[in-house]
Formats: sequence, C-alpha cells, structure tokens
Amino acid sequence: MAEMEQPKKVADRYLKQEVLGQGTYGVVFKATDTKTGETVAIKKIRIGKHKEGVNITALREIKMLKELKHPHIILLIDAFPHKQNLHLVFEFMETDLEGVIRDSNVFLSPADVKSYLLMTLKGLAYCHEKRVLHRDMKPNNLLIGPDGQLKLADFGLARIFGSPDRKFTHQVFARWYRAPELLFGAKQYGAAVDVWAAGCIFAELLLRRPFLQGNSDIDQLSKIFAAFGTPKADQWPDMKNLPDYVEYQFVPAPSLRSLFPTVSEDALDLLSKMFTYDPKARISIKQALEHRYFTFAPSPTDPAKLPKPVRKQETKASYGKHEAIKGISPPRKIRRVMPEHGRPDGMKSHVDKDQQAPMSLDFTVLAERPPNRPTITSADRSHLKRKLDLDFQ
Amino acid sequence: MADFQTSTQRAKWVFTPQKLAERYKAANQRAVQLLEKCGTTQVEVDASGSLTYPTENARDQAADKKLKPLSVDEERFMRAFYEAKVQEVCSAFEFPHKIQATALQYFKRFYLQWSVMQHHPKEIMLTCVYAACKIEENHVSAEEIGKGIKQDHHIILKYEMAVLQSLEFDLIVFAPYRAMEGFVSNMEEFLQARDDEIQKLESLLKAATAEADKIMLTDAPLLFPPGQLALAALRIANGVLGVVDFDRYLESIVSQPNSEHTTSHLSNLLDDIESLVKNYKYPSEKDMKHINRKLKSCLGHSSSHDESKKREKRSKHKSHRSSSDAPPNGPPAG
Repeated sequence: MAEMEQPKKVADRYLKQEVLGQGTYGVVFKATDTKTGETVAIKKIRIGKHKEGVNITALREIKMLKELKHPHIILLIDAFPHKQNLHLVFEFMETDLEGVIRDSNVFLSPADVKSYLLMTLKGLAYCHEKRVLHRDMKPNNLLIGPDGQLKLADFGLARIFGSPDRKFTHQVFARWYRAPELLFGAKQYGAAVDVWAAGCIFAELLLRRPFLQGNSDIDQLSKIFAAFGTPKADQWPDMKNLPDYVEYQFVPAPSLRSLFPTVSEDALDLLSKMFTYDPKARISIKQALEHRYFTFAPSPTDPAKLPKPVRKQETKASYGKHEAIKGISPPRKIRRVMPEHGRPDGMKSHVDKDQQAPMSLDFTVLAERPPNRPTITSADRSHLKRKLDLDFQ
Repeated sequence: MADFQTSTQRAKWVFTPQKLAERYKAANQRAVQLLEKCGTTQVEVDASGSLTYPTENARDQAADKKLKPLSVDEERFMRAFYEAKVQEVCSAFEFPHKIQATALQYFKRFYLQWSVMQHHPKEIMLTCVYAACKIEENHVSAEEIGKGIKQDHHIILKYEMAVLQSLEFDLIVFAPYRAMEGFVSNMEEFLQARDDEIQKLESLLKAATAEADKIMLTDAPLLFPPGQLALAALRIANGVLGVVDFDRYLESIVSQPNSEHTTSHLSNLLDDIESLVKNYKYPSEKDMKHINRKLKSCLGHSSSHDESKKREKRSKHKSHRSSSDAPPNGPPAG
C-alpha cells in the first residue's frame, strides 16, 4: 500500500493531518472528517496485548462521553478500533485554559474570568445533574474551541455516583486541585470534590498562577491550611474520622482579601463558599451558578470575544491525560516565587508522615521554577491503578 | 447516570417487536448466506477488533458435506441457553444484579448484529460478563474469571474489542433494579407506611428482584424502558404478596405531571412484559444437543481433532496458548 505518499484516510472517513501530541499511550492528531468537512482531533490509544484488555481509562471516557451531551462538554464524535489502535474522535479544540492562564500576553479582565468560570461551572453542573463526578478538574482539562467556548474534557477518571455508601479511591485529581477530604483519605465523597477543584481553577484565573502548589500530599494540606486556617472541629465535624486524618498545628486564617487583593466582594464571597472545608457545607455547583457573582456587574464576556493565547503552537489542547503529551506543554517560564509560598513551607511540621518526600525533592531542587504541575499520570498513577483494582472487589 | 431520557439506550437500543424480529432475521440470513457461499460461518476475531470472514475457498473443504444452518428459533434457543449461563456465572462470582443485567444487555445487543453461527455464544457470554464488570467499575481480571469457571481467559481478551465495537461503544446500560428501589421507596410514601408495612415492602423488593432476573432473560430489555420492566417485576411480585393496591399505585404514578401514560396504557405495557415472561422458553437438553451439533458444524468445529485440542486446553489451562496467536487467515476448520 502506498500509505506513506499521501495523507491517508483512517477508517475511510478521517483525513489525517499533523500530529498534535505524542505520548506514552499513543498519539493525538488533527484530521478532517470527510463526512462532515469538520476539523477533528483523533486520540489513538494502543490496544496491545495487555493482560487487562482494552484500556480502562479510555473505556471510562467513552462510556461517559457517549451519554454526556452539552455545549460545555467535549463532544465525542466517534470511537472505533483500527490497526491495533483504539481511535477516539473529538471535536477540534484550539487551546486549553492552562494556555490562557499562563500566557503573559493575555490580559484577563474580571468579565473574562467570570465568563471562563461560568462555562466551567455550567459543564460541571450538567455532569453533577447526570450524577457524574469528573474527578480530574484542572485548567489543562478545560479545552477552548475556536469559538471561545470552554468544554470539560478528559473523563478518564470520571465516576458515576449514586449509592451513598459506595467507596471510591481518594487518589484522584492532580494534587493542587485535590479537596482536603481527599487529602485526608476520604473514600466516600461526592460532588463537593469537583467544587473544590473548580474553586482552585477560579483562584488560578484570578491570580494567574496555580493557587495552592503543594509538593506532596502533606504539603498540599499545609498550603491549604496556610491559606484558610487550620479547620476547627466545629467547622468540619467529620474531619477527625477521616482515614488519614492527622492533627496539624493550628494556623490562623489570613484574611481572604489579603490573598486576593484586587478582586470584587462578590468574587471573594463565592471563592470562600467554594473553599468551605466541610464538604457537606460547601456550596454546590448549582448554588454557585445562582450566586450573585454571576448576576451582578460586570456581565461575563461573550465567549467569542474572549482573549486567546497568541502563540498557538505552544498551547494546543491536550485531549486528556492518557496520552501524557510531551510535545504540547508550553515551555515553563521562570517565575518569581510568590511571597505567600514561603510561609506555608515553613509550617511543614509533619515531614515524618510525608511518604512522598523524595518526590518533593524533584521540585525543590529547581527553586526558581514553579514545580511541575503534578498530574495523576506522573507519580501517583500506578498507585491509583492499584487502588482502583483493590477498591471494588 | 441517572438520566435514561437522554441515554443512548433510549435513543438506540429500545425496539418495536417488529424491528426486533427483523434484526434477528437479518442476522440469521447473513450467516445463512455465508454458509451457502463459504461452507462455514465462523468469523475470526483478533484482539484489536479486526474481523476475518470466511472465504469462498473454505468451501472446497466442506463441499462434500451439506451443512444446515440454524433457524431463527434455534438461534433464540441457543441465546437463551447462554443467557441463563450469564446469570449462572454472575451468581457463582456473587456479582451484583446490576452487573448481571449489564452483561445480559451486552449479550442481547451483540446478537442483534451477529448470528450465533458467526461468533460462538459461549465466548461472547464470557466476554460480556468481563466487560460488564469493567464498565460497572467492579473490576475482576479476565484471568480470574477464566480461572473461576475453568475457561481460557485469552478468549475473553481476544473478543473484548469486537464486542465493544458491536455494542457501538454504548456502554452505559440501564437496568430495572435501581428503578425498582426508587418505586419501592416511593410506595412507602404512597402507603404512608408503618414499620410492619415497610418490612412487607422490603420483601416485595426482594421478590421483585427475582422477577426482574426472569424478565432480563426475555426480549423485554430490548423492547421496554427499565422503568416499565421494574414496574412489571413489582406487579408480578405484588400479585403473590399483595402488599399494595397496584392499580391505585399505577394511577398515582400516571397522575404525576411528567407522565406520558394513562393507567390503562401503562397497565397494557406491563401485561405485555408479563406475557413475555410467561411465554419464555428455555431449550430442553434434547433441543440443545441437536442445535449444538448443527452449530458446531456451521462453525467448522466438528472435526474430532479440533475437539480434542479444546478438551486439552480446558483440562490443563496452560498459561499461554492464545488462539489469538493463530494466523487469522488460516482455514477456519483447523
């Protein structure tokens, strides 16, 4: 076959174009759907002869996205096996929210921030209404289309929640977006974990850098407590019963205003409600959408008019982690260490409990650079898999 | 996922009786034509989901024999036999009803696209159980399933992709069990139940669960939405236990603002489901012997050589002797 000479059609339908990303599980490439004329992104996942058959992450993503159809959820157009690869065909997305947040040439007005958060929460509200937990909310998984519409992607960790006593693994979310109950090892949790992560994304939009950058699970809790104060029993009665609960030295909460000096009162109030410690008291996504932040001025920017990153190539949308794309991440810029980072670090009084200490070294060696964004693809991934297997037997 | 209304199941996998009959007929016809043209019906599968159909030269080897295809009714028996096996396997592993129901739905949907003459139902049955566990997040390794019931687990892994593809990757399936729980807790309110009545409702739920298991063996899951299956199961169980005035309960349901039915319409639908259960036929041993012999010859499994190889595999279950390693284009009769 003369496959090499001309662009080949995959499955007689998709005209292959350039590769968007390459990683451990396979490749993402751009293509034209000859049936509709539309540009698509195709994620290729090797089938291989695994002991456990078809990649479970890919299957989760397919089963969820087949049922979830919403303007703020990535559209799965097709799924099919072809030549030793499972192909997932998605609508083509230009960039992701991480690319927007990081691009120092992009100015985000309060109305822009509101628009991005609104779209994020709308997508999430739909998931929760369908009783789906996303469990991997982070800017990198919020893709942005050519029309400025933001869509939730990467449902490889998503779970249906229903029976209240069902136990889940707590090893979900990239660490910086992990809710305190998960960091304390909660196995029974609900939609509130996505709310916390959405709060982190909101904060990141406002600050233009990840808000709580812990370099280990223990350090993550220290960072959270440094920002909001160590929770007291009356604030979060169930805390002490969580499996991995350890007492932390009491730290008083600085005023939220001091962490977000320039934001509106409404934004600050919503933030504080999304960062409520007790998951039962934390605002729901539905309530958050009804918060006055969204009804009061300024009104959210029309998505089509939202600012976009200038250097397109650097910020291609990633279509989820199971390809662990290397070529797509923009090069990290050297950044100043923010003053409030010094503080929580000094409070790390539980180093002995910190089993992930060696990992944190990787980050701290490069003191001037922000730590690499932790993903579940990286260190905790194998752990997660083991957990998942054990959890449900 | 709580929403059947927007589900792929509602959009694609609930049929009219006529449509369902057509699908079974068409699947049977495709296999009949293969048999006529090629002398065998077996479609080979590999782990990446690619299919190899029998070719016409296979015909020469089988030309001396005049093979008879299975009829639509015989196919139905064959499926009924292996659907019962799905429940047996799931019970042996003590899987929840939900997994059993998902596996059955997968099995039923698979054989809308294929004839049992093209893919042996035993292999598909095992693969459906495995896939259902995986999708319902109750992960059990293929090896464990294989070991537990003394079957070669490589077969499961070999068929997984082909099964998923035949399901068109619509993997979330709605079963009547959850809906039944919902109706029963709704009945508590309806009856304003006291403690003793709550206990009766619990036994009603238990009895209805067993009835739902029976309903799942019929065509009903391909013909009715899960809510109606649940109501039918509850009505059958209530017919014996007499816990609630069922007609009045149905009235209370249809009087709700979003209801699409009248009481009599809903009642008729439940009658239809009940009659499917009443008319359910499970093949006798004699039926099975006959059909099985026919199936084997259609699949080209009748040679004694092939049989002994299989038996050997079953008794020793060697760790790696995957049939997926065999050249896909080899003569299917072996």
